[in-house]
Parts: sequence; structure tokens; C-alpha cells
Amino acid sequence: MSKGLHIPEELLDKIEYILDHLAEKARTDCILLADISGQLISVQGFMEEGTPAIVAALAAGDVAAMAELSNRIGERDPHGSFFHEGETKSIYLHNISGSFILIVIFRTETPIGLVRLFAKRAVEQLVPLTKEFEQVMGPPKTYNPDEFSKGITQELEDTFPTN
Amino acid sequence: MFINWRLREINLKIVYYGPSLSGKTTSLQYIHSRTNPERRGELVSLKTREDRTLYFDYMQFEMGAISGLKPRFNIYTVPGQVYYRGTRKLVLKGVDGLVFVADSQIRRLHENVEAIKDLYEDLVELGFSPGELPIVLQCNKRDLPEIMPVQSIKEQLGLNGIPTFESVALEGIGVLDGLKSIVNSVVTKARGNIN
Repeated sequence: MSKGLHIPEELLDKIEYILDHLAEKARTDCILLADISGQLISVQGFMEEGTPAIVAALAAGDVAAMAELSNRIGERDPHGSFFHEGETKSIYLHNISGSFILIVIFRTETPIGLVRLFAKRAVEQLVPLTKEFEQVMGPPKTYNPDEFSKGITQELEDTFPTN
Repeated sequence: MFINWRLREINLKIVYYGPSLSGKTTSLQYIHSRTNPERRGELVSLKTREDRTLYFDYMQFEMGAISGLKPRFNIYTVPGQVYYRGTRKLVLKGVDGLVFVADSQIRRLHENVEAIKDLYEDLVELGFSPGELPIVLQCNKRDLPEIMPVQSIKEQLGLNGIPTFESVALEGIGVLDGLKSIVNSVVTKARGNIN
């Protein structure tokens, strides 16, 4: 198992640049990048309703279910995309290399073809970047492992206060 | 585990696993109700018409920054029914720690054993080594008659030596103790990986 996903700042800059470009070209409301387990990595734009972390978690479930459905009908490529067309807003999901998910939320006035075209281009740019994610980068200078462990106890008390 | 160095956030995933109707969703609902409202997100449940968990339940809570890092915990439950095994495996992806919620009733022993078998098989398929993942055992429904002694449950499930908590999830008894234990174990393990 890997030691987890560590994303350095310079990589986030590149990701955000790509997502910004996609948002502008495809006229989207909000774009999210999450890993396949539902952890939110980056958000571009804003959501009028809903919480990005929850959208990421649900999208991960959706993508996983769709990959499994594809397998059941004999499809072996887990890197597909699909979208839900709503009355006012639609969602486009793209599975990136089976490891990450691009989530695009856009108004129904925006043609799906436009979103697909620019999302595909964005994914092509994101693929090499996502491969760099696994690199373990150094912790912040303020990080002290002993302090971190000790601090959790107090934080647990503050998070779950006794009445 | 996902660390965003720009935001100084460490995201950790904890999954409540166990057989159907053992109390996973009830535990999460209690946790949500007891979490400081300023630190918790919405509780999301994907349920069937019969109010059974279809996909998963999900909530997120965060803590204040510690040593320059802000921990965020994503808590999931899995659907317990046998035919949702595929979904359980999906939810286990990227997991950092597990709470196995066992039903303490004698007549549910078989379901507990099957669930732990499924869990280990899924973990192996997902690339985890035995013993690699922090696990806590929550023996639920301790208020009911005809329940197994905790030690017997541990032995039957092969979970000797792991932190164990007796609970009555409907009343919240023991639920937070189990959560705090897994949070500490997960953080201890994550600490080693950050360092």
C-alpha cells in the first residue's frame, strides 16, 4: 500500500491552472478534482448548493459503480466518463486513469459537447500530473510529530464536547 | 490519507464495517449528533426505501490545526447486507482505519464471522497487508439478552489483541470511545508516514 497521497503546492498550482482553463472554455459553474476514494483535492468555482466534500464522496461512489457496471457488460476500460442531465444543472464525471475523478458542474444551457471536448483536453493534461501525486513531500516546518499526537487528545475533546 | 500541503490539511478515512443491522448507521448518527456543530459536515445517507443503507453513510469532521496540520476525518459506513459486497469493497478504497461493528447477539455470530472474512478478503484484494490497518472492535447491542461474552466474540472473529469497546449504539454508549480510539490509532500511523 502507498503511504497516501501527498500533493505539493507547485503541483496544485498546475492543477488549478488546468481547471481554471477548463472552467473558462467550457463555461462551467464548478469543477472538482477528487481521488478515486472520494478525497477532495481541488475545487475551482463555487457551488451555490451542496458541499464539495460530499459531492466528491458521492461522485467516487458513482464512478466506482459505473466502472463495475461496465465490467459486467464486458467493458474492460475503467477510464470512461458519464454525465447526468438535470433541469437546470448537469454533472459530468470523468474517471482519470482509474485513480482520480474530474467532476464538472454546469448549467444545462451549456452544450454537453463543449464540456466533453474541453474536459477531455484537461484530462490529457492532468494524467501526467496525477502520476506525480504519489511522491512524498516534506512536512511543513512547523510540523512536530510528538506535538501532533499529543494535540489530537485535546482536539478530540473539543470536537466531541461532553455536555 | 491525503495531505494537501498548501492548505496544511491531512485527510483521513475511517470506515465502519460489519454485518447488516449491527448498528453501523446508528453509530454514525450518534457521532454526528455529538460532534461540535462548528466542526462537522452534513450527514449523508444513501438508503433504500426500507431505510437500509444502499451505498454508504458519510460525514466529515475536522479538528483545529495541530503542529501546523489540520486533520479532517471522512467517516463512512458500508451497507451490511450480503449482496452489497461490491459496494463495501468500493468504500474501503483508501481507508486509513476501521471500526468493526459486531452484533453481540449469539444468533448473529455467523453473520459477524462472514463479515470479517469478507473484510479481510477485500483488504487483501485492495493491497493491504494483514495487520497493516488500524482496527477497533465495537461489540454492539450489549443491552440485549442472549449476547456473547466480549472475549468469545474476539476469539471467534480472530480479533484478539485489538482495542475493543462495548456499545449500545441506540443510546450512544461506547460509540465515541471506539471512535476516539480509532482516531488515535490512525493519527499515530499517519504520523509515522508524515515524518
